[in-house]
Amino acid sequence: MELQSFDESYVDRLRAGDFRTQEHFVAYFSELIQLKLRSRLNSPQAIEDVRQETFTRVFVALRGGKIRQPERLGAFVNSMCNNVLLEHYRASSRDSSLEDEEQQDFPAVSVDVLGALAAKQMADKIREILDEMPERDRRLLKEVFLDEREKDDVCRDFGVDRDYLRVLLHRAKQSFKSLYLKNMEARPPGAVTAGKR
Amino acid sequence: MDHAEAVRQKATERYLLDELDPDVRDQFEEHLFDCQDCALDVRAAAMFVEQSKVVLAEPPAPALAAQRTPAPAKAGWFSWFRPAFAVPVLALLLAVIGYQNFVTYPNLMQAANQPQVGPWASVNVSTRGTAATVIQTHAGEGFSLLVNLPPEDGFASYAADLYNPAQKLEWSGAISTATAAADQARQIYIPGRNRQPGTYTLVVHGITAAGESKEISRHPIELQIQK
Repeated sequence: MELQSFDESYVDRLRAGDFRTQEHFVAYFSELIQLKLRSRLNSPQAIEDVRQETFTRVFVALRGGKIRQPERLGAFVNSMCNNVLLEHYRASSRDSSLEDEEQQDFPAVSVDVLGALAAKQMADKIREILDEMPERDRRLLKEVFLDEREKDDVCRDFGVDRDYLRVLLHRAKQSFKSLYLKNMEARPPGAVTAGKR
Repeated sequence: MDHAEAVRQKATERYLLDELDPDVRDQFEEHLFDCQDCALDVRAAAMFVEQSKVVLAEPPAPALAAQRTPAPAKAGWFSWFRPAFAVPVLALLLAVIGYQNFVTYPNLMQAANQPQVGPWASVNVSTRGTAATVIQTHAGEGFSLLVNLPPEDGFASYAADLYNPAQKLEWSGAISTATAAADQARQIYIPGRNRQPGTYTLVVHGITAAGESKEISRHPIELQIQK
């Protein structure tokens, strides 16, 4: 997924229904929307519903010529997502069926061979980064991310503060980012990484 | 929130660790959706977190576990006792000890118990002279100095110092008179190994009953080593 600037030309292509631009748009903002929603919604289905409704409304707004600041396209998507989310909350308070759904895995939108290779490369890189970490840091990350223990408890048990955890994540991210960027640029816009979402 | 503020606050990490207050989180998200740098940061970090769960859940691979097994900090003295090293060394030692016991020592014992003929020179302590005593040896061959002590000169004992051609003290020792007649000569044997030709100096001291030392003789001895 190439880095593209959100400008008037980009918005025009979206409005005109350019397939590649639409693919890029959906892939780019899907990840951000999912990250945004995962701390607000428990159900993957609810996340998917809000994501899809957000895109539907954004495209309607695009065609209606309501996006007057192309450079603020991202902010517009975020704002639209907030609106959909609020409506979802209101609907959920009337009918909690969505929130009560069991946690379930849903498949990636599309899995391509290049994406699978990229996923393996990235997994290898992450394994390398983790292997280079001191054993204590590995255990710290495991207890926070995998075991999902309370972060304050984990930090106390390891004798570190929360800033240590932030810096640890920051360094790991920095080590990983260049490969991540390389793989993102090499992949077609609609392709997503194989595996759980 | 602008980009500089997001970086300064480590907002990416705080966001993924769910550490931001709701208001700040909303501000960061508004920026995040507009800022491709921050979006890349968040997506990369999120991918790292997700994938690291998979990696961290894996049991350690045997090869990896072996790699992680801490190597012995440092080979200590006991590493010399490893069979691979100790067995051949012990075999070699046994061979050397056997050779010494059955060949070298018997030869040395036989040589030590045999009469030896070698060069010697006589040094009269009571005679002070400047002329060097010449002694000729072969390379590696020792020689003897027969020290004739003066009769009844009042000293309780004697001591001798031998200086090499560089005038460095090579040997120092007492010359006992307790079991010998006062005028009897004493032999000082000088081993020949690594000996250099040149003028050696034998200095004899008389030591009184009170322990005072007095030089009574200084003899140059010219050693000539024949090829």
